[in-house]
Amino acid sequence: MVRETRLVVISPLSEITPDQITRKVHSLGYEVTVKETCYGAVLEGPPETVSKVMQELRALDPLGIYSKIRGFPLGDPKRCRAQHGSRPGFSQLQTEWQSLSLVEKGLECALRGDKAEDIDIPERIPVKDLQRFCEEVE
Amino acid sequence: MKIFIDPPNSLILFDLVERFGHEPLSVMATIQERVDNLEIDMPPMNVTLTDVKNGLKYAGIEVPSGIRGRLAVWGPLIDQAEAAIIMEDAPYSFGCVGCHRTNLLVDFLVRKRKLPTIEIDYPRTEEDARNMVIRVKEFLEGLK
Repeated sequence: MVRETRLVVISPLSEITPDQITRKVHSLGYEVTVKETCYGAVLEGPPETVSKVMQELRALDPLGIYSKIRGFPLGDPKRCRAQHGSRPGFSQLQTEWQSLSLVEKGLECALRGDKAEDIDIPERIPVKDLQRFCEEVE
Repeated sequence: MKIFIDPPNSLILFDLVERFGHEPLSVMATIQERVDNLEIDMPPMNVTLTDVKNGLKYAGIEVPSGIRGRLAVWGPLIDQAEAAIIMEDAPYSFGCVGCHRTNLLVDFLVRKRKLPTIEIDYPRTEEDARNMVIRVKEFLEGLK
């Protein structure tokens, strides 16, 4: 069976709790497995169903709920920390979770139609000029 | 469109690409394929011996096997990509969980393919985040 495992991550600014997410998933009655976590929840099920559930979850807080897929299935002993899995990966998720409050504010501006500020990107030295400099030094 | 994201496991980029209607090419999907079909069971490795050989397409034999292994997984994603978003200086892409040489090679491979690409910095302030999200949105909407 094709499965999709998805991390649902709640932004630090959101007022939604992981408990609300899991209760919402249970109330929808779809055939997906959900596990409550400290950052949100992990969903697993057929890709179409997971996608439908994600739409419903995003509606709870469109700018405060983020998600990405996960390679390892739910409770995989190779990954699960409860079973001393060998692939701990929370440090990356933690870093990005902390930045989600910034991204949320950015999204708010983007959806409002704000324009990005001009950024001065320094020009790169053309190879010919670099070659000339090297020859001069020699 | 298929968008390659760098770092290829980024939650922020994965979510933004999906949110604005494109398909993110992420390392998680590739790992899932390996976990489900190849029964990778050699912790903590995520690649097979064949993968490391396939990595030779993207990095020379003198390149350390860690880089080649990473590129064996990430390289095919760059090959499939129709556009790319590169996020520079992500704190987790350097140090014990990242590899800077791989990041440089990935940047090189993306530029070599001459894909429509946007390079952004990891957001550290509210102003950065605002500019980053707006630029990503404009880039992704421009691809349609």
